[in-house]
Amino acid sequence: MALSAIKSGALVSLKDLMHPSSEFFKDGASLRVTGKLVEYSVETAIAIIVDGNVNLKIDTQHLIELSIRIGSIYQFIGELLVQSDNEAILKARVGRNVDGIDLNLYHQSLQLLRQFQADHLNKRTN
Amino acid sequence: MNQRRRFSFSLYQTHVKLLAFDLNSLNQTSSSDSVSFSRKGYAVSCTEIVGVVVFRDLKPNRFLKFSVDDGTACVGCILWLNHLTSSYFASRHHQDVRILGDMATHFAAQIRVGIVVRVRGKLSSYRGMVQITVSDVVVEDDPNAEILHWLDSMRLAMKCYDLSPTPT
Repeated sequence: MALSAIKSGALVSLKDLMHPSSEFFKDGASLRVTGKLVEYSVETAIAIIVDGNVNLKIDTQHLIELSIRIGSIYQFIGELLVQSDNEAILKARVGRNVDGIDLNLYHQSLQLLRQFQADHLNKRTN
Repeated sequence: MNQRRRFSFSLYQTHVKLLAFDLNSLNQTSSSDSVSFSRKGYAVSCTEIVGVVVFRDLKPNRFLKFSVDDGTACVGCILWLNHLTSSYFASRHHQDVRILGDMATHFAAQIRVGIVVRVRGKLSSYRGMVQITVSDVVVEDDPNAEILHWLDSMRLAMKCYDLSPTPT
């Protein structure tokens, strides 16, 4: 894959992703999601991560070197696949264990980052 | 010398901490043999970014290309590995060049897809896109390192890099 073809995974919380009016919930969207891994199937390499009361399926088949541990916090970057029944699965191309992450700080910083980026883009276009 | 010029000089010598989306939108000015970069009128030459390695392409004894995603955008990085064969280093002391080469080889071995790295280097341009010519790499094990870098980058932008020059 060419370097220029790599899309950045937009930072999104599971709560924002699964919100009915979410701008991120679309087929093919490149995303970065974070949550506690609560289920994993060795046969299918499908994991489920949870943040609060929202969960998301993650296809980890390309993450051969990632060591999976139930109960750990993981961050995945990949493309969202929205199926016909409107169920979503993230096809992960990158994954890492982030045990020890301060999730409150992460979510607050994410809001600040989004606002900062929007302000900069507004200034540039005005 | 006015404030703007003094500030410009200090930024020019600094590894500015910019978010990737900001880095990718730097103004580029090309001359016959080089490209210079500026942000809001201030010249910048070096940068420091933190993010996840999402792409890696190694050409042994030539270079390692990799891409860092900080959540706002991806930035291409190039780590040269041709110290012992490149004419660029021909005039430098052989022992120094060997040390630089060994360091680069060590960095290249550490860089894997999925890890978080802090990259410092010089700004360069490849096919019109901003690229970092890497001078050093630190692998970040702290899962909060990237968050702290976001906060640091935003604080520096608001308190330092975005400051308007004081009229004299």
